[in-house]
Amino acid sequence: MKTFSYNDLAYSVEAAGNAWDIVCTRGDGKTAVVAAGVLVGVAEKDVEARARALVRVINPVGIRSIGPDVGHPQRVGDIIIVGPDVGHPNFIYWNKDSASCPKTL
Amino acid sequence: MEIKGSVAVITGGGNGIGEAVAKYFVSNGAKVVIVDMAQANIDRVVAEIKGMGGEVIGVQANVTSEADTARFYQAAIEAFGQVNIVVSCAGIIRDGTMLALDKETGKVSRKMGLDKWQPVIDTNLTGTFLTIRDGAEAMVNGGWKGLLVAISSVNKAGQVGQLNYSSAKVADALLPKIVVGEFLMRGIRNIRCIAIAPGYTATPMVAGMNQDALQALLKDVHLGRLVEPIEIARLIGHAVENEAINATTMEITGGLCYPGGIAK
Repeated sequence: MKTFSYNDLAYSVEAAGNAWDIVCTRGDGKTAVVAAGVLVGVAEKDVEARARALVRVINPVGIRSIGPDVGHPQRVGDIIIVGPDVGHPNFIYWNKDSASCPKTL
Repeated sequence: MEIKGSVAVITGGGNGIGEAVAKYFVSNGAKVVIVDMAQANIDRVVAEIKGMGGEVIGVQANVTSEADTARFYQAAIEAFGQVNIVVSCAGIIRDGTMLALDKETGKVSRKMGLDKWQPVIDTNLTGTFLTIRDGAEAMVNGGWKGLLVAISSVNKAGQVGQLNYSSAKVADALLPKIVVGEFLMRGIRNIRCIAIAPGYTATPMVAGMNQDALQALLKDVHLGRLVEPIEIARLIGHAVENEAINATTMEITGGLCYPGGIAK
């Protein structure tokens, strides 16, 4: 039997004839069959890597990065230019005082 | 095509018709991939199939997601090396009329909202499309012989109170003709596509219906009872083995009639 940990859960891989069974121990301590009779003919030395790969496909964990929208019209390089809301009361011109937050000297 | 040795991907395999189909295939020597939204259902069915001595994996997935659909096919190929049979059983109901009228004023008091319309279309139509599309992709790219099965419904005829469900199921019934036509056009001869249109079936979804309404519906069924999921599984099994069945939608209703004995 092989064991490994993935996403803080314990998995065991047991031979079932010329195939393999994968069992997971869930967070509550209960076990669940993830796969039975899979990876037919895979040798014992290779089975952990193959089982890990299968478990990763079944229960993917991770963050998907989405790159910048380089087609967006308002940008300089990767920075999106969003125009200022000059009507907002807290908008401060470089050469004028704010209506709601007057400069105090 | 033989069930024995085939690899079947079954969405909605965690209960109802999907569970029955999965167990029928396993008892006839197929390997199965149970796809469902509910992990508890997957755990139960996978454990039961292992107890039968079957070969199985379970994948929690949402059939309306392209990423999830790609993932359960990837898992099937990773585990069993091929895909030969796809049965798209995942389905939901959110029944209600399009309009409800106020009894006193006769004016519209309520409309079917997108909260009832969209999930049914997404699961029963878009989910079926994605499952069939990516199943076909896997079979074509793998060079594997296969059968794609969509699950329609006898309510494709148009059931009042199920505008959302009937709209999706009539589209599911049309799908095999278009898909097989496309296969013919592309020279793909080793993959078939059919749909099954069950009548009122003894599934948890039907068990959740108003029981008085259900008894009233059964008065018009010649068989006098609900169709059992295993009876639908046997029909799908027959379709796997009989390669002349293709590009069609087969009804299995127990003889559902309109009131007065007119065949529906």
